[in-house]
Amino acid sequence: MALSGMRGLSVFISDIRNCQNKEQERLRVDKELGNIRTRFKNEKGLTHYEKKKYVWKMLYIYMLGYDVDFGHMEAVSLISAPKYPEKQVGYIVTSSLVNENHDFLRLAINAVRNDIIGRNETFQCLALTLVGNIGGREFAESLAPDVQKLLISSSCRPLVRKKAALCLLRLYRKNPDVVNVDGWSDRMAQLLDERDLGVLTSSMSLLVSLVSNNHEAYWSCLPKCVKILERLARNQDVPQEYTYYGIPSPWLQVKTMRALQYFPTIEDPNTRRSLFEVLQRILMGTDVVKNVNKNNASHAVLFEALALVMHLDAEKEMMSQCVALLGKFIAVREPNIRYLGLENMTRMLMVTDVQDIIKRHQAQIITSLKDPDISIRRRALDLLYSMCDVSNAKDIVEELLQYLTTADFAMREELSLKAAILAEKFAPDLSWYVDVILQLIEKAGDFVSDDIWFRVVQFVTNNEDLQPYAALKAREYLDKPAIHETMVKASAYILGEYGHLLVRRPGCSPKEIFSIIHEKLPTVSISTIPILLSTYAKILMHTQPPNPELQSQIWAIFGKYESCIDAEIQQRAVEYHALSRKGAALADILAEMPKFPERQSALIKKAEDSEADTAEQSAIKLRAQQQTSDALVVTDQRTANGTPPVNQLGLVKVPNTSNEWNTENQEVTRANGALPVVDPQPPSTPSADLLGDLLGPLAIEGPPPTAPQSESIPVSGLEGGSTADALALAPIEEQTNTVQPIGNIAERFHALCLKDSGVLYEDPHIQIGIKAEWQASRGRLVIFLGNKNTAPLISVQALILAPSHLKMELSLVPETIPPRAQVQCPLDVVNLQPSRDVAVLDFSYKFGTHVVNVKLRLPAVLNKFLQPISVSAEEFFPQWRSLSGPPLKLQEVVRGIRPMPLVELANLFNSLQLMVCPGLDPNTNNLVAGTTFYSESTQAMLCLIRIETDPADRTQLRMTIASGDPTLTFELKEFIKEQLVNIPVPTRAPAPMPSQAQPISPPTAISDPGAMLAGLLTRWALNNRMRGLAGVKGEFYVINLSLELECLEKF
Amino acid sequence: MIRGVIVMNDRGKPRLVKFYEFQPAEKQQELIRSIYRVLCSRAENVSNFVKVDSLFGQDVRLVYKTFATLYFVFIFDSSENELAMLDLMQVFVEALDKVFSNVCELDVVFNFNKVHTILDEFILGGQVLETNSSEVVKTVEEISKMERAANSIKVVPSIPGWQGR
Repeated sequence: MALSGMRGLSVFISDIRNCQNKEQERLRVDKELGNIRTRFKNEKGLTHYEKKKYVWKMLYIYMLGYDVDFGHMEAVSLISAPKYPEKQVGYIVTSSLVNENHDFLRLAINAVRNDIIGRNETFQCLALTLVGNIGGREFAESLAPDVQKLLISSSCRPLVRKKAALCLLRLYRKNPDVVNVDGWSDRMAQLLDERDLGVLTSSMSLLVSLVSNNHEAYWSCLPKCVKILERLARNQDVPQEYTYYGIPSPWLQVKTMRALQYFPTIEDPNTRRSLFEVLQRILMGTDVVKNVNKNNASHAVLFEALALVMHLDAEKEMMSQCVALLGKFIAVREPNIRYLGLENMTRMLMVTDVQDIIKRHQAQIITSLKDPDISIRRRALDLLYSMCDVSNAKDIVEELLQYLTTADFAMREELSLKAAILAEKFAPDLSWYVDVILQLIEKAGDFVSDDIWFRVVQFVTNNEDLQPYAALKAREYLDKPAIHETMVKASAYILGEYGHLLVRRPGCSPKEIFSIIHEKLPTVSISTIPILLSTYAKILMHTQPPNPELQSQIWAIFGKYESCIDAEIQQRAVEYHALSRKGAALADILAEMPKFPERQSALIKKAEDSEADTAEQSAIKLRAQQQTSDALVVTDQRTANGTPPVNQLGLVKVPNTSNEWNTENQEVTRANGALPVVDPQPPSTPSADLLGDLLGPLAIEGPPPTAPQSESIPVSGLEGGSTADALALAPIEEQTNTVQPIGNIAERFHALCLKDSGVLYEDPHIQIGIKAEWQASRGRLVIFLGNKNTAPLISVQALILAPSHLKMELSLVPETIPPRAQVQCPLDVVNLQPSRDVAVLDFSYKFGTHVVNVKLRLPAVLNKFLQPISVSAEEFFPQWRSLSGPPLKLQEVVRGIRPMPLVELANLFNSLQLMVCPGLDPNTNNLVAGTTFYSESTQAMLCLIRIETDPADRTQLRMTIASGDPTLTFELKEFIKEQLVNIPVPTRAPAPMPSQAQPISPPTAISDPGAMLAGLLTRWALNNRMRGLAGVKGEFYVINLSLELECLEKF
Repeated sequence: MIRGVIVMNDRGKPRLVKFYEFQPAEKQQELIRSIYRVLCSRAENVSNFVKVDSLFGQDVRLVYKTFATLYFVFIFDSSENELAMLDLMQVFVEALDKVFSNVCELDVVFNFNKVHTILDEFILGGQVLETNSSEVVKTVEEISKMERAANSIKVVPSIPGWQGR
């Protein structure tokens, strides 16, 4: 079938099809593009028909994957062509090729509008389709009224109206203000009385979008939705064409039930009863039949009904009925239904009280692990993972282990991680846990991440009862042929520490243990050898009385590796060799590893973080898009892969050899090739203290800081570097400042962020006070400038450096402030959009001959535009659910926060205008808060916050922020984070101030360091400093002496 | 919301590509290739769902269906019902079948512009616009009529376009 009237296009497509390979295709495409380009250049002779042909070719080429970077204007220009075919191609190609922000598109708005308000229905349809597909904000502002008119017009054909409904939906998404809530909610309700099912389907999509943002305004639509469902369920007044495999418009049924899920609840008992009748009918009346399409359609409705039942929190009886249905589904032949059955069971687990009923289907779910379809196997794994608890952990984990050997490679890593987590979380006894992990390593060594075996080592170390058992198990595995390298690592470690506990057993003498481990050495990689060397040293230490034969054997090995090219191996060999000749001292140095501090499992954290990471990544992207100049912000985020592997067993007591922060002492000794001096009293080592201080608050799981941040002396390169940063940012003119401020400027600013009046700045001559009033997105600050002297202050200048999101107007500031007088300067603030950038007041005056200049951050910060709001469970959960993920809902695990009790955290939140709503979260360690944010762009927007704290570790928490605006969500998240994370403020010793004339050193002293940064790159500098600290993530626990693991290399 | 519709053949050649959120050409191709890699490894008689978290992010789902030599793929987020998407795909194919009377890959290749027209009658801005295939076929026939009519009348191309203004 040839294309209507466009031979050239058909020929081109044939040519492309005849190309033998990609290279030929590219040549042909390039030739065509060259041709089109030339023709477009000499546009004069080009007819609309030719243009049309070329533009279709462009779209075809674009679809094949070639970039078409010209001719967009020609495509757009066809929109205003008079004849249908040209116009049509103009519209279709434009909406495929052109990005919504393209300049050409803006130029076409008028032509599009003419088609929308014109009388030609087909043109209207084309225009509505384009706007509905790619219309942006400008389209929204100029076209929304016309589109609304079409939608409610009684003279328009349904063909046009249904497009108008979806077009309006797009415009509403681009700019919610274009739909006036007050006026529109009645209209929306009227639209639901529509008889035409095409228009009704589109209108329902529009309603879903409106309700998801603001269900309050659309309550009147709720009973109408139920009516529509009743009409469809009873098959009343449904035209044959809208009946699909005997089911009255499944799409409309599904959409209507979706809309109902955005209303928090249904209060009217009659409406509720009618709805439940319909739902009951759907639940009971759906059977699995032979026809696949019919099954798909009927179950589309059924699964949506299940979702609605779950949402409405129906009575237990109905819930059990739902679970029973799902139980039936997961066993049917139809793979789609099996898939969705498993998926919905997982969702159902969130509903209380049904877990036990779901457990009855455990056997069937386990069978699904062997389903031929990997999609279904994945769902089954997810479900098993979610439904696992103490009662069924043993069964489920053992099934997973068994499945591991036959599972797809694509699934093995996930599978082994999940099995390890479940084993840890729900282990009935610890020896079982050890069995599981060792089996995991045996069966899927390649897929067992280091985290997993690190964790088992931690467990064994911390549980004395477990040690002989673990050692025995490790010994048994070593007898097996061809064991995985991870098994070599784990068993060597365990046997090094606890092998001596087996000494009376056959085959477990030090010598035997040594030889069986040493047998593996030729097969392992470089990263494992250091572990083996450590094990040998430990074996040697435990062999009392010493066995000369074993000793010489091991010494020979150490000797051999002393010249190893790998620095880590070489150093260990040298050190162990030297140490092991020290005799009795060896026992002290190589003593058993101390217990690991109790902590959240890195594995569980990893599983949780994988969720947070995606949120974070998209937040990073978002940030990068918004603010390309602020490139460093991106690097401030934690690395995407989260916790570095070193954390797991990084708590080993080794003076690090490869670390940049090495103190000079170690640098020197290393350079000389001599041994570091052993200090038997580790915590008192000065370098350990220093590091503890430096890293404490920011190190992820480090020991609590023993001294406040500010006391650390800039000794290490790290801190020195960050100080340098701060200094480098100090403006040069600061040197003119010879006046010392009274009080801490940064503290004053922080105080004013939480209250509305107070002193912003004070020095011997002037006091600057602030009084502020805030109302929604606007604020009025009055700046009080008070001259404390008996002489006038002259050349007074005040400049506002406002960030782009704030509109600030400062009234005139007088040049002179008379003695002992106070002037008031009102400053009007309008918040345009969410941002946590800070405005700066650049203030200067002259007193005598001294020019004083200060840059002060103004407390017009994000929380000033917040209004606390108390949300009830009915309001919270639907909103929370509807904001389902990034970029509207972001989650992040925040570490290194200032530890504080929960009550204090709640107080902090309340003082930031984030109203803590108690009782919403069943877990008392969590906080849920609500607030409304005001800005010109977002208007009033509800923000929801959930904080999950870890009672065992107050320096970290997980927060989830949701709002209807991606920028707001991100900014608010970062803002709260800034409030929680302890940013080290370089406090300087208050220099005694005998006279004003004396120059002050350092020159930055007078300026609020934060303000300077704010004036330049506030966040850049702060982040930079934090990054510097966080850059060394390791955990430096105790510096005792060399032993241990290969984690070191990972720094 | 439906994020995109892709039709490709069993060798991974795209035959119809429509994204409802702008994707640059390069990204489109990357997505198509990755989706193809997943689809071509799937056996028959398995479900129509594929996990695409790694390609599109957590909340995004994909359904596909094979018709003769073609894969039809819908990508959408959690605001849509999976099976309803599958139904819509079926109706879309039924409409193609009616318009081209027994549609085959070649019809789609040589009439990709018409296929675009048909798709635009089913989905607008990532939302389901119409689910009644007869209604769509009727509309598309009206459009074809208009095209033929326009082609038969020779209008002097003298009316200034948008550019001339």
